[in-house]
Amino acid sequence: MAADLEFEKLVNLYYRDLYRFGLSLTGSEADASDLTQETFYVWANKGHQLKSPANVKGWLFTTLHREFLKTCRHRKRLTDVPIEEGVASLPDAATDCANRIDSQTLLHFLREIDEDFRAPLVLYYIEDLSYKEIADVLAVPLGTVQSRIARAKVQLLRRLTEMDRLHTQTK
Amino acid sequence: MTTKQAKEILLLYRGSIDDGDPQFREASAHAQGDPELAQWLREQTSCYNAIRSKLRELEPPTDLSETIIRHRPIPFRRDWMQILKLAAAIIVSASITAVGFKLSERKRYSIAQGQEILVKGEVLDMTCYIAYNLSGPDHAECARVCIRNGLPVGIKSENGKVYLLTGKPGHSVNAELADYAAKIVTIKGKESIRDGFAQLQVEEIRKF
Repeated sequence: MAADLEFEKLVNLYYRDLYRFGLSLTGSEADASDLTQETFYVWANKGHQLKSPANVKGWLFTTLHREFLKTCRHRKRLTDVPIEEGVASLPDAATDCANRIDSQTLLHFLREIDEDFRAPLVLYYIEDLSYKEIADVLAVPLGTVQSRIARAKVQLLRRLTEMDRLHTQTK
Repeated sequence: MTTKQAKEILLLYRGSIDDGDPQFREASAHAQGDPELAQWLREQTSCYNAIRSKLRELEPPTDLSETIIRHRPIPFRRDWMQILKLAAAIIVSASITAVGFKLSERKRYSIAQGQEILVKGEVLDMTCYIAYNLSGPDHAECARVCIRNGLPVGIKSENGKVYLLTGKPGHSVNAELADYAAKIVTIKGKESIRDGFAQLQVEEIRKF
């Protein structure tokens, strides 16, 4: 009984965040729900192996990401681009665009970003994880994670401002 | 540190979440003395918060948590000590049966032993099966590990009869059978029964 309550508590604590992460990765509500469910299924079977309870959140995100990767095939390898290149082309006035955009459009733009870059960017935005924790979740080096977030962020903001400019022109 | 360098670092700054991160310390201090950079940083943080809040507006289906909780599998936590004790008990029991068989063999031949039969059924990890009634595809991975690690292996025939599978004296069949864990196979072997305990000495394995 205590284990059931503990499981319910854990589900209620993290299922929303895991679903959002899954939705950002897959773009599909059904797939995101499946990934979230699968994550907790794995937890129910293997969660007891986790030595430090403080790492539960990271463990769950790592598991969801792994389950997502299992479904991805033929993923292309990408080389990391230094942060400098991103900063130079960072658009101004992205805040206004971000305020005007709706969640679904934002999700659509995120889907345009390659998965290797999208996953760290989503964790950067929606979770209060440190960069080290994000690197651990995705099993990539810290520097790589930061580089990918920076590059993906610039790409997203540029896309937001482009869309905003198009909207303004058509009005 | 130049403003450009500070911007490169602060591009990743998310506000209070990153306040304890030493990589932002120097650049943040630089922003305090540079009004233009400070303004840029405020805009970046504000943009970050706007996108974050939009993403956090995405709500899962209302019944998702309920579905997850309802479909929670019953966890099987391996207590290796308990499994080893059980395995030891099975081995001791099998040994006693074998010794008993040898002793009784001298006196009587009333029970037909060593008869060659064919048994079709699921390959079982006997330890988990007897202790926890675990079998089938959901338990395949665990069964494979247990069998590969030398724990007793068995077969549950289509009529429900369970046999302990053994090799010829001195030979284990675990390595051969591990990959068939939870699968349906047909095994040709010699049947021995003692006190209701059935054993099949494997001669041939056929994947169904």
